[in-house]
Amino acid sequence: MPETVDLTLTINHRRHPLRIEPRETLGDVLRDRLGLTGTKISCDAQVCGACTVLVDDLAVSACTYLAIDADERSVRTVEGLATDGALSPLQQAFIDHAGFQCGFCTPGMLMAATALLEEDPDPTREAVIHALEGNLCRCTGYAQIIDAVLAAAGGARADAR
Amino acid sequence: MLPRFQFLRPRSLPDAFAAFAATAGDAAWIAGGTELLQVMKMGLAQIGTLIDVKGIAELHGLRADEDGALTIGAGTTHRVIERSPIVREHLPALAALESEVANIRVRNTGTIGGNLAFAEPHSDPATFLLACNTSVHLVGPRGGRDLGIGEFILGPLWTAREEDELLLSIRIPAAAPGVGRGYAKFAFFERPAASVAVCLAVEDGIVTQATVAVGSLTDVPTVVLRAGDLLTGRETRSGTLGPSLGRTVDVFDDLDIVADHNGSADYKRHLAGVLLGQAADLALTEALARA
Repeated sequence: MPETVDLTLTINHRRHPLRIEPRETLGDVLRDRLGLTGTKISCDAQVCGACTVLVDDLAVSACTYLAIDADERSVRTVEGLATDGALSPLQQAFIDHAGFQCGFCTPGMLMAATALLEEDPDPTREAVIHALEGNLCRCTGYAQIIDAVLAAAGGARADAR
Repeated sequence: MLPRFQFLRPRSLPDAFAAFAATAGDAAWIAGGTELLQVMKMGLAQIGTLIDVKGIAELHGLRADEDGALTIGAGTTHRVIERSPIVREHLPALAALESEVANIRVRNTGTIGGNLAFAEPHSDPATFLLACNTSVHLVGPRGGRDLGIGEFILGPLWTAREEDELLLSIRIPAAAPGVGRGYAKFAFFERPAASVAVCLAVEDGIVTQATVAVGSLTDVPTVVLRAGDLLTGRETRSGTLGPSLGRTVDVFDDLDIVADHNGSADYKRHLAGVLLGQAADLALTEALARA
């Protein structure tokens, strides 16, 4: 019998008591134990950003982050962005600006950009590029994605007026 | 999936050393895991017990002495260093360097201690900290010791740390008035293709002393004396050094440069020449501001 550990992950504000092996990554637990397959695993080496999720509001790679390290922490995934079926302003901006084609990188892009906008609600284009430079897209390219993030920030700015 | 391992979370140094001793050597320390989990995934390391050091208070904390010397706990993440007002005030070049390490996910989890202890030859901080005459503090069941970073890093993925020793903190000496430090790199991927760090002193419009360290070129970050000599004695009145340096690649002729996926040895030597001018100018700007 492999050693197991008991822990509690709070995922998208819902608590999940779990018994797992220490070797399970956050990506393993999200996808294989909880069925939250919005988080994509691609390079498995912290290079591509497809698996980006937020742990205590910080962007991390679910592929290389041990689930045990998220014990008693708040994890947010792409499934948690919409509220009561309504897309977040950032998600809507990705649609409005054609910020994806195949969509594989999109959950990671959305989570990385969510972290950025929470920290810096009115980023410059350079700040968006800097925050997303570790997230790779192989079809749309980057211009529309950056436009979408800036538009979401601009929308929030307009709402505040 | 990762290979199986036991995972321990000691809360104190004595508990950590006791846990290590109980494994008969089949153990490794882990903090952010950005390096270690990667080699375990690739099947290059099979480790029975991972001992998580993030919960040990002595590995955390970041402070400046009155003279501006910095002590940084080994468990401090790149992101915390990047955003630290203390680092931005006393060593802005380190904050700038940290803001460009790998990507934001690595910076949010990876630690300065893990980076140095892993001794990847393409490390950003190791190269810069070498030029800044940084020392590392190790503790183990037999006590503590301090080593210069050049004595600590012995080869690719190889340091002077005994297996049961823990890198506790690093100490970066204060810069005297007129001293500036700069770092420049060129990168295609997460790690640099080449990087150059410069620490120089300016007095009465002349560079009186300069230390140059290069990274990603050779097996270990290396101080290049000829590059320091190239900068020493130069006039600084124009506020820039780079354009006057000429054929800087010559000073890297004696290095045993390793070709890798970033390019040939000649190409990397060329990059170092360009980066030397950039790093020297960044250091000069700070030196003149601190004069």
